[in-house]
This record gives sequence, C-alpha cells and structure tokens, in this order.
Amino acid sequence: MALSRREFLKASAAAVAFAAAGASVLNPKVSEAGDAGIKWGKAPCRFCGTGCGVLVGVKGGKIVATKGDPAAPVNRGLNCIKGYFLSKVLYGKDRLTKPLIRKGDKMVEASWDEAMTLIASKFKESIAKHGPDSVAMYGSGQWTVFEGYAALKLFKGGIGTNNIEPNARLCMASAVTGFMTTFASDEPMGCYDDLDLGDTYFLWGANMAECHPVLFSRMIDNRLKNPDVRIIDFGTRRTRTSQMADQYVRFNPQTDLALLNAIAHVIIKEKLYDEKFIKKHVVFKKGKENIGYGLEDKFKFTDDPKPISFDDYKKFLEKYTPEYASKLSGVPAAKIVELARLYADKKRKVNSLWTMGFNQHVRGTWVNNLVYNVHLLTGKISRPGENPMSLTGQPSACGTAREVGTFTHRLPADMVVTNPEHRAKAAEIWGIDVKRIPDKPTYNATEMFRALDRGDIKVLWSQVTNPFQSLPHLNRYRKGARKGDGRFVIVSDIYPTKSTEVADVILPSASWVEKEGFFGNAERRGQQWFKMVDAPGEAKSDLWQTMELARRLGHGNLFPYKYAEKEIFEEYRKFTVGGKDLAPYEAYVKARGLRWPVVNGKETLWRYAEGHDPYVKAGEGVKFYKNKKDDGRAVIWARPYEPAAESPDKQYPFWLCTGRVLEHWHTGTMTGRVPEIKRAYPAAVCEMHPDDAKRMGIKNLQKVKITSRRGTIILPVDLNGRGKAEKGNIFVAFFDETKLINELCIDAYCPISGEPDYKKCAVKVEKA
Amino acid sequence: MDSSTKHSGITRRRFLKDGVLLPLALAAAGGGVSTLFLRRADARGFYLRPPGALEEGNFLAACIKCGKCAQACPYNSIRMSGAEAGVAIGTPHIIARETPCYLCPDLPCAKACPSGALDRKLEDVEKVRMGTAVIVDRENCLSLRGLRCEVCYRQCPLIDKAITILPRHNQRTGVHSIMEPVIHHDKCVGCGICENACVRDKPVIVVMKSPPEQKDYYEF
Repeated sequence: MALSRREFLKASAAAVAFAAAGASVLNPKVSEAGDAGIKWGKAPCRFCGTGCGVLVGVKGGKIVATKGDPAAPVNRGLNCIKGYFLSKVLYGKDRLTKPLIRKGDKMVEASWDEAMTLIASKFKESIAKHGPDSVAMYGSGQWTVFEGYAALKLFKGGIGTNNIEPNARLCMASAVTGFMTTFASDEPMGCYDDLDLGDTYFLWGANMAECHPVLFSRMIDNRLKNPDVRIIDFGTRRTRTSQMADQYVRFNPQTDLALLNAIAHVIIKEKLYDEKFIKKHVVFKKGKENIGYGLEDKFKFTDDPKPISFDDYKKFLEKYTPEYASKLSGVPAAKIVELARLYADKKRKVNSLWTMGFNQHVRGTWVNNLVYNVHLLTGKISRPGENPMSLTGQPSACGTAREVGTFTHRLPADMVVTNPEHRAKAAEIWGIDVKRIPDKPTYNATEMFRALDRGDIKVLWSQVTNPFQSLPHLNRYRKGARKGDGRFVIVSDIYPTKSTEVADVILPSASWVEKEGFFGNAERRGQQWFKMVDAPGEAKSDLWQTMELARRLGHGNLFPYKYAEKEIFEEYRKFTVGGKDLAPYEAYVKARGLRWPVVNGKETLWRYAEGHDPYVKAGEGVKFYKNKKDDGRAVIWARPYEPAAESPDKQYPFWLCTGRVLEHWHTGTMTGRVPEIKRAYPAAVCEMHPDDAKRMGIKNLQKVKITSRRGTIILPVDLNGRGKAEKGNIFVAFFDETKLINELCIDAYCPISGEPDYKKCAVKVEKA
Repeated sequence: MDSSTKHSGITRRRFLKDGVLLPLALAAAGGGVSTLFLRRADARGFYLRPPGALEEGNFLAACIKCGKCAQACPYNSIRMSGAEAGVAIGTPHIIARETPCYLCPDLPCAKACPSGALDRKLEDVEKVRMGTAVIVDRENCLSLRGLRCEVCYRQCPLIDKAITILPRHNQRTGVHSIMEPVIHHDKCVGCGICENACVRDKPVIVVMKSPPEQKDYYEF
C-alpha cells in the first residue's frame, strides 16, 4: 500500500461521507475526496463471477487504493484477498506498454501503426487466400460487454465468419446448454438472495469457500442465524467447503450422473414429487445416448430430442436404484435415499449450487439437466429461497460471453446463427445484408485450436485470456501455434504470459478501470464503470484494437461511434428488449448493478415467478415462458450415466483433477504479480491421499513425477493441505505458469456444450 | 520494509564503529549481512529455533554453533545468528517472515545436530514446539475485518488442528460471516508458515514463545 493506514482510513471515511451525502462516487472526475486528494469511483471487481462492488481510489493518475463498496448489494463492502489487492494487479513491473512484433526469435518494439498494418495485412491475405474461416478471434468472459460485442459484430457481421469463441467455452458452456435445453433461456432463475432465504444447500462440484469466497460467507451466515440450515457438499475431493459443510458426500468421479438419477428414482418411487407442478410446468424428453467425447478432430454432434411420457421417464429411472448408484459412486445407498428425501422435503427450501465440477465434464450438459430434473420434480424452483443456481467463474462470462453471445453458434441475447429469423434481426440492427452472417457454426474453443494446429485457421487473435496455459492437452496447441506455414498469432494482454510466448504480435492492452466497462455477474446483474486512470505507456483497450482492425479491413462503417462504449451498449440493448431487457446505460451509471430483465426500471430477482418476473401473468404462478416450443414448460431429460473419456487403469492408476485456489485467479498472470499473494501461495502442489503416498513410500513435500498419456510434470506432494485428495485421486491447481498441469489434461469435451473436462483424466504418480 | 531498512542502517553503522565484532560476524553470517537485521532478536525477546530445540537456556548451553542444522535444511530456512544476538552469536535460528520452517517429515536439521541442542529422536513433526502463532494485531487482520483472507489458516501445515475457522455473524453487513482464524496452542508447532504467508505489510500473525502450560480441571 502506497498509503499509510491513517491516510487510507481518512480517505475511506471521506468516501463514505460522499456516498451518504448522495454525492457521486460513480464518476471519479467529480468526487474529490477531501484532503487526501484521492478520487473514488465504483467498479465491479476484476476477478470472479461473484461481481463484488469495489471503490477505486485514484491519485496522481494511479490507482492507490481499493476497498469493498459498502453500497454494493453483492458484497456490502467486503472482498476476498484477490479483491483486496486489486490496486496492485495492474502495476506489475513487466506491464506491456508497447506493441511487439516477432523478428525471428526476438520480439521487437513497434508502433501501433506498424503492428496494426501487419495484423490487417495478415487478415486480408488469409481471407483472400483461404476464405474468412481462416481467421479467428478467441476472447473471454473477462471482456467487457463492449469489447465482446464489437468483436462479435466485426467477425460475424463484417468479416463474415463464425470463428469467434470465448474462454467461457472452457468454463460455462455446459451451464449454457443445460439452461437452453431445459428452459430455452440461458442464465439462472434465482439470485444471491437465495443464499439468505433458503435452508438447504446442495453443492455439486463447487469449492465455493475458495472460488466464490464472499458468497460462501453469506451462505454460512445464513446457517449461523438459522440452525436448521443444512449444507451438503457433494464432491470428489475434500475441500475447505467440505470442511464447513454439514455433510461431505464423497463420490467417484463422473458418477454424479448416476447419483442424480438415483435421487430422482427415490423421489419418484416414494412419491415425493409435486404432481401438480409436473402436470402444469414440465414435459419429458430423451436425447441420443453414447454420444462420444470429442477427442477426434472435427468431431460433430447433434442431439435428437424425442418427447417421452412421465411413465417412460419412470421406466428410464428404474435402473438407477440407490444400490446401483451406490456401486458406481461409492456413496452408501441409505445416504442416497436420505438425501433424496431431503431434496424433496416439502418443509425445506432447497437450493443446488454448482460450478466447474458439473460444467467441465464430458457429460456437462446432461449433469446440468439432471440437477434441474430434481428441482422440477419437486417444484422447488423459481421461488424466493429455493432454486438451482449455476455459479459463474468469470466476471462477465454471463454479461459478455453468454448474453452478448461471443460463441461460434450464437448471436446476442440467446439467438443463434442457425436460425434465419435471428440472423435477420441481427442484420437489421447492424444495418447489414443478412447474407453476411454465415449460418453455420464453425469451431468450439478446442476445435478452434485444433484447426490452428492443422493449419485450417491461419490467423488467430486472442484477447483478455491465456489459452496457451489454459487449454487442455496443452502441448499440442502450443506446438500448433508455432508451426509456421502462414500461421499468425496475435495476443493482446497486459503482461507477458505463456500465450505471448507463442505470439507473432503482442498488443499491450488497457485493463479494468483503465477503460470504461460493463460486466454481467452470475445473478444476471449488469454493472458499469468509468475509465479512472490512463493505461501505462501506449497500451490501448481491446475495444479500440478491434475497431482499429475493423477500420483497416474496410468494416469501419460497422462502428460509427463517437462515444463507443455507450453507443455500443444502446445498440446491443436493442437485442435484449422484450426478453433479457437490459436497462438504459444511464441507469447502470447510477446503480450498483441491476438484475435483468429490467422492465419499467424494475429489476427481476426471480425469473419465471409471478409477482417477480414481469413476463409471468397473474394467476400463472410459475411459467417457463421462454420455452415456447413446449408451451411454456421446462424439460425433464432422461440422461443416462456414461463413463468418463479416460478412466484410471493399470498403467495410469490415478484420477487427476485440476482447479483453482482462493489466492490466485485463473492462470495467475495478475495475482502472480502481487508480491503479497505470490508469497502467500507461491507455487502449485500435488494433493494426494496420505494412504496412497504411504503405499508408494512418498513423504509430504517430496517431489513426484506425474505423467498422463499427454505430458509429464514434477511437483511436491501435499498430503495434508487445504484440499485433501481422496484415495486414487490427485489434484493440482492450474495457476502456476512454471508448472503447466494442463499439458496432462485430456482434450475430451461434452459433445453438446463443447466444454472440455479438466476434472478427469488418468495419470500415474512416481517418486521424482 | 522501510523501518527494517532504516534499522539495519543504524545498526550497521554502530556495529562497524564497534569494530571488534566484525570478523566474528562475517564468519557467522557468511556474507549474508543484510539478513542479520531483518528481524531484531530483542523485538520479542525470542529466537525461533530449529525444530527439536531444547528450552532456550539449555539450548544455548548445548549448541556448539557448528551450523550442521543449517546445512541440512533443504529450504535454507535456518540461519546462523550474527553479532546482534549477543551471547547467542553463531546459533541457528529461523526468520519466519523470510523463510519459515516447512516441517520436513524426516526433520533433517534435528538429525544433523551433533550436540543434542536439537532433539535427534524427534520423529513426529506434529510434536515439534518451536513457538506458538499469535494474532498480534487483530485490528489489521483482514479476516477479522470480514474479508475472505484466511491465508494463515489455509497455508497452515496443521490446518484444522493448529488453526481452525470460527465463523461468526458480521454485524456490519448483516448477511456475511466473519471467518475468524483461531489458533490452538496445544497443536501449533510454531513453524512460522502463517507469519510468512500473512498478506499484510507487517504480519498480523507471528510466532512467539509458547506460553507456559497452566493446568486446571475445566473441560469443555
């Protein structure tokens, strides 16, 4: 901290006084905070999908302090340790400040004009020679809404390719396809208020204590106030969340599919379901089975949903007895029955919460469907305090990747390129010929990098993400990027990363409050902020970079803006009217975020619920009105258990699971540059069960060699750390750029969502 | 780091003036002069000794200052004291904020001790008693202010034993819980990993001399 504690406190007091007096902390230009000379402005935190509000203190053109925003409903002035150090994440010593162009093995400083001229020429050349599908944009759930929208518009409406994907494909895609297949509308019906109002919380594959820290403390506080609150943690690894839960239910990887079907089985067998709710609000469907794993290049899958009856569904579930699920999962049959009854208990307000354990799953869409099944059977949905809630990883995975639709198959506001009406609507708003928008999706994220490796994609631009550390089966894609033969990789970032290592051009970006922005969090809350400081050196926003390429490619007419951020937002908003309904830009300038749909100035806490959702008519109670195809009903899916893409065997006897820790954000490029965080958690370790270690003669902290069919890594073992691996399992966090665990991961993905499974592959462990 | 830099400047001047101790100090510090002054020994009247060390008085009597424990430490956690240590000059100690004791399961430092100043028979790292962690500055502890920090807890090698989390209602926000790290003196080994990991400029959790055992018959 550059400030003394006294100065800091004084400044904080001043900011609170400003807020109390109704003075604006929204725009830092107008909120001089007394004698400390610090100007405070509001912004959402740069890190996870929780969307905590912070106040950013600026002095002398630099961020000198941040603090949790007491007026922000999400966090009420709190933060986690990443949020606490926000003021330092932008000020690492090696911040990129000038465009760099590869000359042989060296990266040489260049002017923006040189860099953009080169990039534009590569785009033009590749498009002329190989067509528009030879160029691609790989973006991020950390893009602002404006950045994602501009990239989408340029690629789909200008260049004429669907080669645009976000890193959110690696974290949220299964949640999206889960929502779309069950409700025909993306994003949760509930909101964070459910953490205060419910009394039963089932966590599935979510280490909320570390990955949604502020929300976790909210759920725990609910239990402190109400001793009846029960928190049940289903997991394959004992985490800090398990430690604080009332019950930890350990299951074998991949068997969540069987467990959820067994829970439904018990609910049906014991007639614990809500017959009236099912009759009124639910239809039943069955899709394809044995759907594959996306391991081969150009893998394609199309589901073939068939309507079935409730009786057919019951028949389908017959096999999933608690005993059968117990054999697969290792969870005692009696426990499954007990928890099914708890799920269905009419006196209880039941919530399910999940994150990457569900989404990064070769049957990610299915397992999302299956958890909705349980809520739909019991009618515990779209009510205050009881909802299934998909927790989001990134600050704008919802706002940008999902709502703007920066996926190959999507257009803004849940629309898709394959639907001619959707293309027509987009073309109309964009003022272009509808024929410009190609009607076929091209590559999901994994396939995009496979295409680069094969040479089908020649030019790839990555913004606000670090794919060459975060992709599974990393070796292939790192090598692919440097194969030459016309391949050209552009990376926009704020620091040197594992991705800038393989880039032909590195562009220095502005980050967070160095530009105006807008994020959307996991509870549908859109949050706006203003630019508060200049980016260092010649760094520029990704929005500027994209629009500059557009201009140089002759698509400048798509971006005729004077105040680009606001005008883009208002243009994008047209897509949302009558559905996702974002509010006018000015409303977000004033508010600490608003949850869509915002109709007549009123935000929506619970979707599909009468009295809360403006689209549900009086007397309807609950209406899943987005699913017009099924007459406003949600879908219960008959989805079977199918094994993982790769399971342990004699040669590779351990499951490898990867994930995050509280201290570090994703690939650690920002948090790793905060000395305090780096000291607190300096390097990756391999969590292992003490019995496995003992059997192999491995002692705590000793180095082990972990090998999969794709790569090898050496790490010290941690037998008694914050996360405790179960027998036959190991866990490694992926933030450490010196230990690329993703080299070991398998690039198998859910055929429906295209999301890779980072949680399950087979490895062997030896003394190093 | 400002204050320690200043401190080392003053001390260094004085110690150069004193002169007589110079050869000794150089020999002991092996060139790492800067490390001598990172933590004043007298700040807490306490040196963090390597695992298995006898009670301070007996330790000083037994230690022959051979440096074998420091050589055995794979993390270079153990340093030999310099001039500022007075009578303890040349004895091994750990500056937790710089490099704590990582509790090697086979305790190579204690095994290397030829004099018995460190207990060679010590086998179980959980039985080590170098000192006890104490939150010395509650007001500056981020966890106690309701932030989700708890780095000391999550990095504790005896997590859920030496440090546990006690959640309590945060009255200021009304809907969150304060996750209070609670240290259990009967389990804490004093390795200093928490002191090392604390994210504040001045660590709010530090290892101190273990308080004497005080027996009574209340059981909770």
